[in-house]
Amino acid sequence: MSDVTLATPPAPDVLPAPTQSTRGHDVNSLISMRDIWKTYQMGSEEVHALHGVSFDIPKGEYIAIIGPSGSGKSTLMNLIGCLDTPSQGEYWLNAKNVSEMDDDELARIRNQEVGFVFQTFNLLARATALHNVELPLIYGGVGSAQRHEMAKQALAAVDLADRVTHRPNELSGGQRQRVAIARALVNHPSILLADEPTGALDTHTSMEIMDLFERLHGEGNTIIVVTHEPDIAARAHRVISIRDGLIEKDEKIR
Amino acid sequence: MSADKLRSRDDDPSGRALSPVRKRSLAFFRVTALWEAFLVALGSLRQNKLRTALTLVGIVVGVAAVIAVVTIIQGLDNKVATTFSSQGSTVFSISKRPQIIRSREEFIKFNKRKDVRHEDADAVARLCSACWRVGEAANARETLKHGDQKFENVNIRGVSPTTMFDIDGRAVDAGRVWTDSEGISGREICVVGPDVLTNLFGGASADRVIGQEVRIAGRPFQIIGVLEPLGSIFGASRDSVAYIPYATYQKVYGARDSIVIFIQVPAAQQLEVAEDQVRTIMRNRRGGAFSQEDDEGFSLETQDVFLDLYGKATSNIYLVTIGVAAISLVVGGIVVMNIMLVSVTERTKEIGIRKAIGARRKDILTQFLIEAVMVTAIGGAIGVLTGFGLAYLIAALIGFPLLMSVGSAILGVGVSSVVGIVSGLWPAWRAARLDPIEALRAE
Repeated sequence: MSDVTLATPPAPDVLPAPTQSTRGHDVNSLISMRDIWKTYQMGSEEVHALHGVSFDIPKGEYIAIIGPSGSGKSTLMNLIGCLDTPSQGEYWLNAKNVSEMDDDELARIRNQEVGFVFQTFNLLARATALHNVELPLIYGGVGSAQRHEMAKQALAAVDLADRVTHRPNELSGGQRQRVAIARALVNHPSILLADEPTGALDTHTSMEIMDLFERLHGEGNTIIVVTHEPDIAARAHRVISIRDGLIEKDEKIR
Repeated sequence: MSADKLRSRDDDPSGRALSPVRKRSLAFFRVTALWEAFLVALGSLRQNKLRTALTLVGIVVGVAAVIAVVTIIQGLDNKVATTFSSQGSTVFSISKRPQIIRSREEFIKFNKRKDVRHEDADAVARLCSACWRVGEAANARETLKHGDQKFENVNIRGVSPTTMFDIDGRAVDAGRVWTDSEGISGREICVVGPDVLTNLFGGASADRVIGQEVRIAGRPFQIIGVLEPLGSIFGASRDSVAYIPYATYQKVYGARDSIVIFIQVPAAQQLEVAEDQVRTIMRNRRGGAFSQEDDEGFSLETQDVFLDLYGKATSNIYLVTIGVAAISLVVGGIVVMNIMLVSVTERTKEIGIRKAIGARRKDILTQFLIEAVMVTAIGGAIGVLTGFGLAYLIAALIGFPLLMSVGSAILGVGVSSVVGIVSGLWPAWRAARLDPIEALRAE
C-alpha cells in the first residue's frame, strides 16, 4: 500500500508539568472527571442531568458510554467534547482544567483536543470533502499549503483519496462518515468523540465504520463512542453505563 | 492499508503540548480565518442569487439617490460659483449700502451714510496704485419699448468709463461700445443684452438691430452694440440689460443716486493690497463719519458676498434633500439586517458545526459581517454608478454642467459599507453567540 502519512506533530514544546490537583485528579489520565454536576433551570425547577459523575480515561483507551435516552449520556458527551461546561465539578482534559474555561478557550480546546464524529455526519453541504476536512485546520490557523497536505493525507487514511473533490451529496453515507472521521482526526486531537456514529447507517456500513474505529484505536487513538446500541458498545474495551445522571456500571469488557 | 501513521496526538510522548507548527501558525490565524470567511460569504451570496439581488436593490437605491442628489448639488453650486464670478475674483466694489441688507436697523444705518459719488471714484482711480481698472456704475429698472413692443423690468446700467464692460466681464457681440467723448457728452446711446433682441425685435440678428431705436424711460436711445450672452441664474437672465453712459444715466435719473465704484486688480493676489489702499482712501474721504458708531461709512465687498448668501440660503435645503435621500439608505440597511437574520437562521446548523470544530465567536462574527459588508459594498458601487447616471440624465434635461467627483464615489461605497457593518452587526453577533449544542440540533 502507499506510504501515505499524516503530518505528525513535531516535537512538543516544554510546558510546565501539570500540577497535582487539590481534588486529586489523576495526572496520568487523559480525561479526569471529578464529581461533575450539570443542572438545568426548567422554569422554576432545577433539573439535574448529571449528579456527581467521576471517572478517568487513560490515553489510548477505546470506551463506550451507553445509556437510554434521558440518562444524561448526551449531557456527558457535550461536557467531554467541551461544547459545554459543568455546573459543578472539575474536568481535566490533557492536563487542562476545562471546567473553568470561557467560550473562546473552549473553542480552542475543541479545535485542538477533540475530534467530533456525529450521527448525521454534520458536513458542510456546499464544501468539498477536502474543504470539510480542512475546516478544523483553518480555525487552527494552519497555512494553506500545509493544510491541503494534511487534509489529503487524512482523507487517504480513511480510503477516500479519490473522493477529495466530491461534495457530501455525491458520497454514500459510509463515505460521508469517513470524511467526518478524517475531519475529526486531521488536527491530531487527544480524543476522538463519536456520538451514535452508526445511527444513520445500514448494518453493513456500520460494521465498516466500527472496523475503522478499531483500526484507529490500534494506531493509538483514544476513542469514546456514545451510543444506545449494545452491539456498538460491545466493540469497545470498556463500557460506562449511565442512568438517571449517575454512573450505573463501569466495566472493562476485554 | 495506509493509515499506520494516522493517530491522535496523545500518541505523542508528552501528549500535552501544542506543536511548534501550530504555535507558529497562530500568526496566520486571522488571515486564514478571514479568507475562509470571505469565501463563505461569497459562496452564500452566490447560492442565494435572488435574495442577494433583492438586498442589493435596497442599497443601490439608497446610494444612487444620495449620489445623484450630491452630484446635482455640486454641479449647481459650481454653476452658481462660475456665474457669480463672471466679474471674476479680481473685482471688488465700494458702495453706500452693501448688496445684502439683513434688517431694518441695518437699512437705517446704511442710509445715514454719505452717498458714494463720482469724486470718490476719481480719487480711487488717482490714488490707488494697486488698482488696475476703476469704474463707476448705477442701476435702475425700466421698461424698454420699440414700436408697439414692450420689454419690462430691464436692468439699466449707467457706467463710466467703458472699461466697466471689461470689469463686468462683458464683451460686445456686434456693433461697438461708445467712445469717451460720446460717454462724457451724455448721448442717448446704448449697448443692449441679447434678451432685448428677442423681446423687442422678434429675435432679429444682432447686426440688424444696430442703429435701431429703443425708448428707455420715454427717451429715444440708439442701439450701438449688442452684448454676448451670459445666460441666466436662478431663472433671472443676466442678458436682460441695457448699458448706457453714466452721464446719460444722470440726465435721465438725476445725480442724487449713490453710485457703486468697481475696482479690478490684475490678479487675485493683489486683491488684498488694493482693498487696503482703497479702504484707506475712502476712510480719509469719509473723515469723521467713520469714527462714529464704528462704521466705515461705506461698504467694500467682493462678489463672494453673493456666494456666501447663496451658500447660507441653500445649505439647509441641501442638507434636508440629502437627508431625505439618506433615509432610503437607512431602509436599505434594514433590508440587509433582515436578510442577514434570515441567513443566520438558515445556517444555524452550519454555525453549530463550525463552532464544534473550533470556530470562535469572532470567527463567526467576522464571517457574517463580511457577508453583510460585501453585499453593501457591491450595492454601494452599483449605486454610485447608477447615481452618476441619474445625475447625468437630470443634468442633461435641466442643462447645467455635471460635476462627478471621486470623493462622492468613495463616500458612497464607504457609507454603504458602514451601513453593512451597522446592519450586519446584530445578526452576526446573534450568530456568534449561538450555543453550539443548540445550533447542532437545528435542521
